[in-house]
Amino acid sequence: MATAAAAAPRTSGIRFGRAARRYGWTIAVYSLFAVLMVVTLIIKPDYGAFEWNTLTLAALPLAFAATAQTIVVLSGGIDLSVGPLMALANVLALRAMLGHDLGYSLIVALIVLLEVTLAGALNGAIIVLTRVPDIVITLATSFIWAGLALLVLAKPTPGVPFDFQNLAQGSTLSAWIPNALLLLLVIPLVWIPLRRSRAGLAIYAVGSDRNAAFRSGVNLGLSRVLAYAVGGFFAACGGLALSMTTGVGSPLAGTYYTLSGVSAIVLGGVSLAGGRGGMLGPVAAAYILSLIPAVLIYLGIDPNYGQMIQGVLIVIVVMIGGLGVVLRRA
Amino acid sequence: MTSRERHLTTARWVAALMVGAFAMVACGNQPSGGGTTKYVVGVSNTLQGNGWREEMICSIKAQAKASGVVSKVVIANRNTDAAGQIADIRNLISSGANVIVINPSDRDALNAVIKQATDKGIVVVAVDQAVSEPTAYVVSNDQVAYGQLGADWLAKQLGGKGNIIEMRGINGVPADTDRHQGLTTALAAYPNIKVIKQTFTNWSLDPAAQQMKDIFSSGIQYNGIWTSGIDSTVVDQFQSAGKPYVPIVGADNNKFVQELATLKDKGLIGAAVTNPPPIGGAGLAVGLAILQKTHSYDHVIHLTPQVWDNTTAAGVSKLQTTYDSSLDPYYSVAFDVKPYTTYTKQDLIACAGPS
Repeated sequence: MATAAAAAPRTSGIRFGRAARRYGWTIAVYSLFAVLMVVTLIIKPDYGAFEWNTLTLAALPLAFAATAQTIVVLSGGIDLSVGPLMALANVLALRAMLGHDLGYSLIVALIVLLEVTLAGALNGAIIVLTRVPDIVITLATSFIWAGLALLVLAKPTPGVPFDFQNLAQGSTLSAWIPNALLLLLVIPLVWIPLRRSRAGLAIYAVGSDRNAAFRSGVNLGLSRVLAYAVGGFFAACGGLALSMTTGVGSPLAGTYYTLSGVSAIVLGGVSLAGGRGGMLGPVAAAYILSLIPAVLIYLGIDPNYGQMIQGVLIVIVVMIGGLGVVLRRA
Repeated sequence: MTSRERHLTTARWVAALMVGAFAMVACGNQPSGGGTTKYVVGVSNTLQGNGWREEMICSIKAQAKASGVVSKVVIANRNTDAAGQIADIRNLISSGANVIVINPSDRDALNAVIKQATDKGIVVVAVDQAVSEPTAYVVSNDQVAYGQLGADWLAKQLGGKGNIIEMRGINGVPADTDRHQGLTTALAAYPNIKVIKQTFTNWSLDPAAQQMKDIFSSGIQYNGIWTSGIDSTVVDQFQSAGKPYVPIVGADNNKFVQELATLKDKGLIGAAVTNPPPIGGAGLAVGLAILQKTHSYDHVIHLTPQVWDNTTAAGVSKLQTTYDSSLDPYYSVAFDVKPYTTYTKQDLIACAGPS
């Protein structure tokens, strides 16, 4: 970076090109979100703090599911057990928090984060040790985690302490800065140090070219286990987010988040081939995917079109993104 | 009238006008047509592709139209979980709904958002299944009784002895929990009846069909089947596999009723326990009455289910007359819930809300 800065006048075009390549998709996703927000404001001129809070609450678990998937996909894997891991975190939290106060709940939350991080690491360890493809192992473990969640809690049970729910449902700072938005800060707090570290670089390296990474002396196994462990951590965050937003523990809580998480990362510019992408795009994509149902309700459009519109949007965005890649190569 | 009284009257008028103006501002998109107040109705449902739920939504639309006081029905309908339904209900609040009819995906998870709605003066009616929030109205079939009556009929048919398969709905949703509780209560009186297998059909046809195939090939010994409403699919599986029928309990779904009426000589013995989807329209009627203060209702309204079986000649003729070829096979034969709904069968089939 230092040399690039020194040679700035001569290479500014190259730097711009690099920046566009690196952040182009992210900028596009945020532009899309901005356009959608403007459209929403036109459709609904009285869009206010309540509506904004609705969006932040709906997007919170999805954003964490997307983040969990992102880190795994960046390392060249795929985690089909994100949803069940969320459910596991969700029911473990309920069992332990039931009837306790906020302080106790926070300690429980930390322990649950640790437990589910370990479950994620176990996903990675099994994949590395058995050399069976990621998709097979995580499909299998998705049933294991889902079964475990049902063993922990057979049916949806209320009782997440009210103060703990308020961590997401309230708006402590201001009505326009709901807690559900602030909770997303967990993502940069974990991601930025990781990305800047040697281990984070190794995750990208393993994801983009495993052979090259191996020859450069990267510990492949360890990097992949780390990616799955961090994925487990974010899945646990998603499960706890569900505890906070619904107030109940539900063994089936994560059902919808594995696939919608994949949608969010595709929309967010993470290459499913691994090694490319970041966290900013998927988080914005989670907001976009949560805003669409709201807009449809405001417009009173037949809800059966909702999923179609979502699908069409993903196809269009991915096609535009793919076009960008082709043009760059030409 | 003293000047003080006149003063008060004026003050009341001003207050009423202010409240009216505020309500119009707050609810934004309410054209008032022909002097009657027009209300916006919100609907939240979280199970798509299910005939029963489709009929429920159509009954809400039909009742909205028949009531004459609804300007718009806004429907939030997608396959989602409690967190998604919370977002949907919040969006319906934002859409200016005056009544929100919900088919809840969880008994407790929606309480906070329901309270937010009722605090804003919105009437919230949970239909089909219960919620635990006391400010909401619950208009539903007595789902505990649904489970109990069907299971009791089945146990009696089997002479109090044998293995039954329990094909439930969606794990953890209130109606499934209640029906299971009813079934368990009923079977407690029959110690020799054993639930040999339990499945979750998710109230969808395909999983139920697959589960029946699995049951046939597994060699499980069963003497009767209790279903939570995915019934004709089970009968169809017996037909296509060429297996001898066992007594089957289902709901008052059109196709199942037809099968009970026509397949008796082929050996099909069964009972339909009523669970009318127009409970949605009934819920809206109750909600509108509360809103207009034309009638007051208890917060919990339960319909008591009936059992129609084909073991007697009278039962068969009842089933024959109830079957309705003009309705969708996967709809229920019930097209209204008296005395609450006021629309006609054509309104329900048209499935159109107020234009």
